Amino acid sequence: MQNVSVAEAGRHPAHLAPMAPPEILTLKNVTKRFPGVLALDRVSFSLRRGEAHALCGENGAGKSTLMKVMSGVYQADEGEVVYKGKPCKFICSVDAEAAGIAIIHQELNLVPHLTVAENIFLAREPKRGIFVNRAKMRADAQALLDRLKLRISPDQLVKTLSCAQQQMVEIAKALSLNTEVLIMDEPTSSLTESETGQLFEIINGLKREGVSVVYISHRLDELKHIIDRVTVMRDGKFVCTDEFAKISLDAIVANMVGRNLDQKFPERTSVPTTETLLTVKDLVRPGVFGPVSFELRRGEILGFSGLMGAGRTEVARAVFGADPVTSGAIWLGSEQVNIKSPIDAIAHGIAYLSEDRKQHGLAVRMSVAANLTLTNMDAVANRFGFIDFAREEAVSQKYIAALGIKTPSSKQFARNLSGGNQQKIVISKWLFRDSKIIFFDEPTRGIDVGAKFAIYQLMDKLAAQGIGVVMISSELPEIMGMTDRVAVFHSGKITGVVNTRDTTQEQIMHLASGSGAGSMA
Amino acid sequence: MSKVMDITTDNQPVAAPAPVRKPRLRLNRDMIQKFAALGSLSILLLVFSLTSNAFFTVSNGMSVALQVTSIGILGIAATCVIITGGIDLSSGSVLALSGVVAALLVKAGMPVAPAMLGGVVTGSMCGAINGFCVTRLRLPPFIATLGMMLIARGVALQATGARAISGLGESFGELGNGVLWRIEVDKGGTFPEVIFPGIPYPVVLMCVLAVIVSVMLSRTTFGRHIYAVGSNVEAARLSGVNVRRVTMMVYVISGALSGLTGCVLMSRLVTAQPNEGVMYELDAIASAVIGGTSLIGGIGSISGTVIGSFVIGILRNGLNMNGVSSFIQQIIIGLVILMTVWIDQKRNRS
Repeated sequence: MQNVSVAEAGRHPAHLAPMAPPEILTLKNVTKRFPGVLALDRVSFSLRRGEAHALCGENGAGKSTLMKVMSGVYQADEGEVVYKGKPCKFICSVDAEAAGIAIIHQELNLVPHLTVAENIFLAREPKRGIFVNRAKMRADAQALLDRLKLRISPDQLVKTLSCAQQQMVEIAKALSLNTEVLIMDEPTSSLTESETGQLFEIINGLKREGVSVVYISHRLDELKHIIDRVTVMRDGKFVCTDEFAKISLDAIVANMVGRNLDQKFPERTSVPTTETLLTVKDLVRPGVFGPVSFELRRGEILGFSGLMGAGRTEVARAVFGADPVTSGAIWLGSEQVNIKSPIDAIAHGIAYLSEDRKQHGLAVRMSVAANLTLTNMDAVANRFGFIDFAREEAVSQKYIAALGIKTPSSKQFARNLSGGNQQKIVISKWLFRDSKIIFFDEPTRGIDVGAKFAIYQLMDKLAAQGIGVVMISSELPEIMGMTDRVAVFHSGKITGVVNTRDTTQEQIMHLASGSGAGSMA
Repeated sequence: MSKVMDITTDNQPVAAPAPVRKPRLRLNRDMIQKFAALGSLSILLLVFSLTSNAFFTVSNGMSVALQVTSIGILGIAATCVIITGGIDLSSGSVLALSGVVAALLVKAGMPVAPAMLGGVVTGSMCGAINGFCVTRLRLPPFIATLGMMLIARGVALQATGARAISGLGESFGELGNGVLWRIEVDKGGTFPEVIFPGIPYPVVLMCVLAVIVSVMLSRTTFGRHIYAVGSNVEAARLSGVNVRRVTMMVYVISGALSGLTGCVLMSRLVTAQPNEGVMYELDAIASAVIGGTSLIGGIGSISGTVIGSFVIGILRNGLNMNGVSSFIQQIIIGLVILMTVWIDQKRNRS
C-alpha cells in the first residue's frame, strides 16, 4: 500500500504534495424513498474539484436517483447535500443549474431544427431590446466551441450533426452556464471508438480547467482514460469509493454485483458445423453499403464487427427485408430466396433483433404477452383470426419461465420492465417464431452485467441447437468472447472474415479502420 | 416448441435480482379513466333527471339513443383509425356523399337496399382513397383526410346542385325510422296505447356494430395488429405485421361506417341532404377521446367510445330539455372535452 501512495503523489504537481484537492460537492448519508421502494439508503458521495468521478453499479443500483438528487431533480428525504462548503437544498434542476451543476442525459435534449448557437442559448438568448442579438449569440457560441476545440459551425442545424457532435453541443451548453459540476449519464453508449476518444479529450480538458465530472457508464474498460476515482453502488447502498489507480476492473465488477465474476462470457458449448445456412452474395444498397458477401453456418455465432456507421446494421436490415437493396442475391441453404419485406424474411425463418429496442423492437405500450406473440399470432389464434387467450397466456408463461423474464405478470406493459428483461422479451418473440437465423444487433447495449451474461448464454444455447446466430457488436471483448468467426466492416464493405480463435483485437481494429490486411478464413 | 424448454438459464451466476418494477397503479388508472367517463355519465343522468321530469323516461331514453347513433357509429370508426395513430377528418363529408349517392341511385330507379349498399360502397371507396394517400403517397393522415373532407363534400354538393333530394318513398325511411319490438295494446280508442315504443333500428345497428368492432379489436389478430401499429409502427413492421394493409383497412372501415351512417341519417329524414353531417367528424373524435382513446395511438376501446358518445348525446339532450341555448351547449361540451383530455394526459404522463 505504501508504494501506491507514492505513485498517487506522483500524479500531482510536486508542490501540492499528496493533499487531495478540496471537495466541491459532498453528499452525506442521503436517503431517498419512493412509495414501496428505498431508492437510496444512507449514501455518501464526495466530488473533488477538477476530478472525474465514475459512478458504477448495475441497473437499479440507485445511480440515476443519486444523480437526480445531485442535480436537484429530486430532494433527499434525509441526509445533507453540501455544495462549495455550504449545505444546500436545490428546489429544482434550474436552481442547481444556476449554481453550476449541469446534467447531460443519455437521451440528448436538443431541438433538432434549430442551429447549434440557438440550442446552446435556448431560453437564454442574448437580447437587444426585444430582439435576439444574433451576432452576440453566434460569437459566444463560437467561443464555447473553440474552447472545446470543436470544428462545428454555430450556424449548423443540430439535426445534421452526428450523435457525438450533438453530445459536444450539450457540453458546450453546460459550459455556457458556467458549470462547475458536470454529470454525464452513459455519454458513450451511442458513440463510435474515435468519437469516444474525442469526448475523453474534452473531459480531460475540462478537468484541467477545474470542472468536476460525475461519469456514469456501463463500459468499464473506458474509465481508465479519464477517471480519477470511482464509487460503486449496489441495491441503493454505497459500497465503496476508491482511487481508480488502486482498484482493478475485476474488483469494481465484483463490488457491483456483490460476487466474484470469474468469467464474463459463458463457456461456448455450441460447435459450428460446415453446413451453410445463409449465403449473401454481392448485396448492394447504393450509398450505404456493398457489395457485401458472407456466409453463415449452422450452429455458429458470426460476429459483425466494425465502427458505427460501417454498414453492419444496414446489411442485417437489408437481409431481413427492412430496407431495400438494388442488387445481390440471398440463398437459404441451396435455395435462392427473394426477400422484399420483413414479412418474407420471417416466413423464411430469419429474425432481426434491433439495436434500438424501444424504437424498433418493442411495442412498449402493449403487454408482455402481446409483444411475445406479435411475430406469430397465427399460432395463438384459430383459423378465423380469433385469439385464444388461454393459449397465449400459456405461451407467455413458458417463455417468461424459460428465459427468466422478471415481470409481475404477462399483462404488464413492456415499458415497465428493465432493459435486460425487455431484451429477453424481444428474443422470446423470435424463439416463438422458430427462427433459423437470428441477427442480434447490439444485444447487450444498456444492459447490466448479470443480464448480459444471461443473453450470452442464450445465444450459445441457440447456436448449439443449430440456429445460425449473427451478433453485431461494437464491443470487441464481446466479439472476442462469443463468436466463432468475425466479419469486419469498414465503410460499407467487409474488409475481412477471420476465425475468432486465430485473431486478435488489434487485427480486428486494423480491419475495421481499413488499415490492415487480415488473414481470410 | 420443446426447443424452448431447453433454453433454461441454469448455471447462470445468480445476479442481484433485478428489481421488478411494480405494476403500480397503472391498471387502476385505466379503470379510473373508464370510470371517470362512466361516472360523469351517471352524474349527468342524475342531474338531468332531477332538473327535468321528461328526461328519465323510456321514450326520451330512446330518443337520446337515436340521436347518439350517428356520433356513436362514427366514433367507433374513428376509434379504429386513432388507435393506429391516424385520424379521419373526412367522415362527416363522406357521410353526406354516401347518403346522396344512395338517394340518387333510388331516384334512378334502384331498389332501396342495393342503393344503400351503393352508399356504403361509396364510403368504403373514399376510405380506400384515404388509405392509399396515407400508405402509398405517405401523406400525413391529417392532410389526406382533410383533402377528402373537402372533396367528398364538394362532390356531394355538385351532384345535387346543393339541393336536398326528397320524394324518396316510404321504404327509404324504413332503416332510419323503423323500430324493433314495439308493443301496442288496442284499447278500442282511435290510437292504440303504446306500452313500449320499441328500439329504433339505428340504435340496434349501433349496438351490433359496437359489439362486432369491439370483438374485432380485442379478440382477433387483426385487432392486435391495429394496436401494434399504433403502439410502435416500426416494431410492428419488423415483427412481420403488414402495416400497409392494416392501415388501409382501418381507413376503409372508417369510410364504410361513415357511408352507413350517411344512409341511416338520410333515411331518418327521408331526404338526402348534401349539407348533412358537417363537423360530425369532430364529435366522433371527441367521443373517442372522452372514452380514453389516445391520439398518439396504441390505446383505446369501443366501450369507452360508446360511453363518450353518450356523454355528448346526453349533455345535448339534457341541456336542451333544461332550455339551455345551443351556444351555451357548445361551450359546455368544449369544456368537457378539454377536461377529459387533460385527465388523459395526466394519466399518460405519470
